[in-house]
Amino acid sequence: MDTGIGILSASYYLPPTRKAVADIFRDEEIPQEKLAADVDFQRDIGIEAVHVAGKESAASLALEASRRALQQAALDPKEIDLIFDFTSIPEEYPAPTWSAAGLLQKELGATRALATAVNTGGCASYHTTLKVACAMMAATDRYQTALLFAGDKVPEFNHTYYPITVICDGGSAVILQKGHEKRRILSVEVATAGKIHDVWYIPGFHNRERGDTKGKWLHMTADVPKFNKEVIPINLFMFRKVMRDALARIGRKQHEVSYYVYPTFSTWDQKAFCNAFMIPPEKIFTEGLQRHGHLQETDMVLDYVDALEEGHIKEGDLVMLTTNGAGFSWGAALIQH
Amino acid sequence: MEDLAQREGVNPATVLTLGIEEVPACDTETASSLALAAAREALQRASVEAAQVDVIVDYSILPQEYLVPAWNMSNKLQHELGATKAFTVGFSGGASGNFLMALSAATAMLQTDGKLKTALLVAGDIAIPGNHIVQGNGPVTVLGDSAGAVVLRRDAERAAVVDVEIATRGENHDVCYIPGGALERHEPAMYRLTIDGPRYEAALAGDHLKKAAARLLERSGLTIESISCAILPNVSRAHHARMLEMLGLAREQVCACKLRDQGYLQGTDFVVNYLALTERNALKPGDHVFMVSDGMGYMSAAALLRY
Repeated sequence: MDTGIGILSASYYLPPTRKAVADIFRDEEIPQEKLAADVDFQRDIGIEAVHVAGKESAASLALEASRRALQQAALDPKEIDLIFDFTSIPEEYPAPTWSAAGLLQKELGATRALATAVNTGGCASYHTTLKVACAMMAATDRYQTALLFAGDKVPEFNHTYYPITVICDGGSAVILQKGHEKRRILSVEVATAGKIHDVWYIPGFHNRERGDTKGKWLHMTADVPKFNKEVIPINLFMFRKVMRDALARIGRKQHEVSYYVYPTFSTWDQKAFCNAFMIPPEKIFTEGLQRHGHLQETDMVLDYVDALEEGHIKEGDLVMLTTNGAGFSWGAALIQH
Repeated sequence: MEDLAQREGVNPATVLTLGIEEVPACDTETASSLALAAAREALQRASVEAAQVDVIVDYSILPQEYLVPAWNMSNKLQHELGATKAFTVGFSGGASGNFLMALSAATAMLQTDGKLKTALLVAGDIAIPGNHIVQGNGPVTVLGDSAGAVVLRRDAERAAVVDVEIATRGENHDVCYIPGGALERHEPAMYRLTIDGPRYEAALAGDHLKKAAARLLERSGLTIESISCAILPNVSRAHHARMLEMLGLAREQVCACKLRDQGYLQGTDFVVNYLALTERNALKPGDHVFMVSDGMGYMSAAALLRY
């Protein structure tokens, strides 16, 4: 399988203000529930600071990233046929009634586009969206160019996603074009395990508790015992499945993968992944962890862009982008450089 | 309807003009429990085992049990149905047009991915308490609580999806939305579905949807007169009349409308109206069914099915 679709450009935007992780741990309530992995969450996280949006909105982060991607591609917004918002946490107004897709369509002047949002997958929403976008582009000649974007802004005191990571605010954007010969998307695989749909969730306004003066209804909530019991045992198995299936679709083997882009959750998580799949440090981008922490689904774009710009990915390389999402989903995509 | 209007503090006389006499309303059910029942029914009618489903596509429009997109009902359904090999996708925005968005995406996936044969489209929508009657310049529609499900199968012998055309108007992204309850506003009064009446009126007066529908028909080599049946969202009697006029449809072409009995069910309108049509044996092989939504001024969408 070769979708015949390539990545025309990819970009991101991080708000300029930074907050040290030590200050985040000071300001936020950190749960004390024990982790299955033998780690000290605060000591071993491996993130120094994250970017915080402050007064910038989630959509404005996405808009800036999208403008950068368009500029890089030298593309007129009026040429965009499809716009997909793949943001995985709440935006300005409640979903699924609303998404930022229409707002960005307006702000960019992408007048002929169809603008929608993919609202599943957690941090694997980029893969889910790639799969949908590639299918829609492959199915008709009407869709030649697609803009995929995300804008993530967490509530002020909800940067800690215990027991996984610390969250950075930011936006990302990718432009896909049919027939683009470089950075070709060869295959995309997504898997979901519905049983663990509620390991991570945000309660929502209608579930707010009496006396919630801190806006906890808008905070990411983790079921740590369920995470330990249900997610940890299958996580690497599911990674293996989606990566193997993505490779099998194009008749390639793991040893042919030149470079990996993997989420920036924590040092111990990266180590576990590399050990499980015997990936040497030079074949995976891990630098983003210390620089900015985790950006939900945008990790896949940001770390890909940085790996590319810093010379880790070369012409001819087969690149694997792989992630898990919200405990219940996994994605793998193969990009031929 | 009078009771509902009084409970929601709306003049009953203004609501009765919508042409909606009653709407289904939940008591203790959740949106996902409704969706589960609808999905099971659809799978049973299609004689498809849940384990055969390759992709579950959620087209819900109203807030779910937890906040979307961090959580999505489709994963819970995957588990409860036992759709073990499926993966999940959901779409946001576009009001009833979101069903046609899901239809378009699912059809494309089935057409282009040899590994995917069966898709389950599903939604569960329950109105925010006290918000069944949606206001713009006065009542615009009345929401019924509901769920819908559709099974798509590659190479199915009837009811083939011929084509879908969708276009959006970004400037109308906030004509129909919930102003509070996410990052932007936290006041309880803002947590209700709201329509900007004047902008919605202006959108209906435009030709965006008409052009989208015309593009679809032209691609398919059809005329509006050759359509056997048009399925419209059940927004209101007045909305129907405007859609008929805009699209050049004859009243007898709109032959399956649950407006009076069920009110506006978002994308599930297309499912219940289609089912009403098939249950009346109103379609014969080769008939073209035209599904059209104005997406509350944001998403202009049309789909063509061949029965």
